[in-house]
Amino acid sequence: MTPIFGAFLVLYAGLWVWALIRARAPGSRQAIIAWLGLNAMTLAALLVLFPMVWMVAGSLKSAEEAARVPPTLLPDALAAGQWRIFFDQIKENYARAWASPPRAMTFARYFWVSSVTAAVTTLGVLATSVLAGYAFARLRFRGRDALFGALLATIMIPPHVLIIPNYLILERLGWLDSYLALVAPFLASVFVIFMLRQFFRTVPAALWDAARLDGASHGRFLWSVVLPMARPVLTTAAVVTFLAQWNSLMWPLIATTRPEMRTLMVGLQSFGQEGAAEPNLLMAAATFSMLPILVAFFFAQRFFIQSVARTGLKG
Amino acid sequence: MKRQETTLATLYLAPAGLVLLVFWFAPAVASLVVSFTNWEGADTLDIVGGVGWRNYARTLGDERFTAALANTINYALWSIPITMSLGLGAALLVQRKTAGASIFRTVFFLPYVTTWVAVSIAWQYFFDPETGPLNHLLRSMGFEPLRWLAEPRGVIEMFATGPLGLESWPNTGFFGRIAAGPSLAMASIIGTTIWRDVGFFMVVFLAGLANIDPGYAEAAMIDGASAHQRLRRITLPLLAPTTYFLLIIALIGAFRVFVPIMVMTPDGGPAKSTATLVFYMYEKGFVQWKLGLGSAVGYLLFMIILIPTLAQARLFGRRVHYD
Repeated sequence: MTPIFGAFLVLYAGLWVWALIRARAPGSRQAIIAWLGLNAMTLAALLVLFPMVWMVAGSLKSAEEAARVPPTLLPDALAAGQWRIFFDQIKENYARAWASPPRAMTFARYFWVSSVTAAVTTLGVLATSVLAGYAFARLRFRGRDALFGALLATIMIPPHVLIIPNYLILERLGWLDSYLALVAPFLASVFVIFMLRQFFRTVPAALWDAARLDGASHGRFLWSVVLPMARPVLTTAAVVTFLAQWNSLMWPLIATTRPEMRTLMVGLQSFGQEGAAEPNLLMAAATFSMLPILVAFFFAQRFFIQSVARTGLKG
Repeated sequence: MKRQETTLATLYLAPAGLVLLVFWFAPAVASLVVSFTNWEGADTLDIVGGVGWRNYARTLGDERFTAALANTINYALWSIPITMSLGLGAALLVQRKTAGASIFRTVFFLPYVTTWVAVSIAWQYFFDPETGPLNHLLRSMGFEPLRWLAEPRGVIEMFATGPLGLESWPNTGFFGRIAAGPSLAMASIIGTTIWRDVGFFMVVFLAGLANIDPGYAEAAMIDGASAHQRLRRITLPLLAPTTYFLLIIALIGAFRVFVPIMVMTPDGGPAKSTATLVFYMYEKGFVQWKLGLGSAVGYLLFMIILIPTLAQARLFGRRVHYD
């Protein structure tokens, strides 16, 4: 613990100095409040990060160290500077966790199933919702507002009520245990239709009049004028749909039974349940399952945060 | 010039409409029908028959259901206020546009982009009574270690019979369970969900704060209002729509919580003290394959969530008109 404690002290001292420099009038009430706020935030940030640090540290240990009482944070080899042993242990943990799925598969298969499912669902939702949202926003037909109201009413149905009948429907269709089962029920989203319709309504009608004078059809207008303007909303819809699909557990757990059709979440969950997986291997699997989304988050932080904030604002 | 564009509209609405019809509307109706039958998973259709209200009566009379309802209410009562106040606190702390604030913002949001299953696995070891760091901390500070995810006693009950030294504390029946508080196992799960969700609440609160005209606060400052007064009299009231929205989202979410419970306590926890309503439905439907009973539970859940969802729909409706 000592090196970490030292690093923490240095960091903390740095924050202190930074706060003193930033404060407009050192020693004033405002400066003290700012300093207290900084302390609170630092403490909170450490609390937030600690479980993740614990997880990653656990994935670097041997099985014996991971089950040691009392627990230690750092692997012995790292603390002793035995780099060779340390890296060999990491390699072994991650390789064994990666190859843990049954039938000569690896986690690559689970990643693949999850990626295909989430990507196809996201594209599908965008396609169906753009069309429906445009129809509700711009096309004239009888009963439009009543239909839209009925659609909004469906958000009142909790998805869990639908699981059993959906299971039965897919069973009848013979789609269980396939990509169709994972994707088909989620190819339309009332929420995304609503979000896009709200945006499409803000597109000035004058643009459509101009496009029509130039001989454009609705399809043409939607594709080349409206969609380019809607990019931020489409990004939001895509991020939210992708994450929801990537993280979903209950439906894939029910709709698939073959290990070949497990999504990453189901695969990871069954790795945790299927017998005596060593904790260090489980931590390794948990770590590499989080990685893609975390990496994406670091590169596109603004998109993520804005998207989430926007779903909040738009209801 | 009011030309109807019905054909084109039908074409545009067809893909989404088809999916929603087959996988949302039809199942919603089918589920209602199934909830009045004795259908079990492996049955052929000819031995399935209607049983009237029996599934509903059986569910409502089941002690496990009452317990699941109490567990769910405990979850909501404890997780929502804490998550919301921490989210608001974090938002107020990091709302300044400095480099330091943006680092903290990223850190607080980080748990929200981790995957639930992985997080739940990691936290399971965090709570491990032998090898986990939490008990290590308790031991090194001279306290008795706790059983965390294996502890069926409610946290209030533990506090009352432990540090307070009371002889006993109510812990049976629906109200007893709520009086006893969530079991320590459930509290551990609540801790995990708070850890993960605070970032989401913070981000939505930040968006709400950004919508408040800084002019009000400046005017109040000129009039000599203290920071505390400005927070209480200006920021919080103007933030009310955001708070209301988040409250409803949190309420609906609390009644739908499933993944962390399924992963951290796959069998419903010690003495079934982490089995929520959705977990109970999952067990009836897909562990015991009593589809009729499971559907009835689903509809009861629907009734229970109806109030917060209606509130959400109203919110939706208002946005439709004034957006």
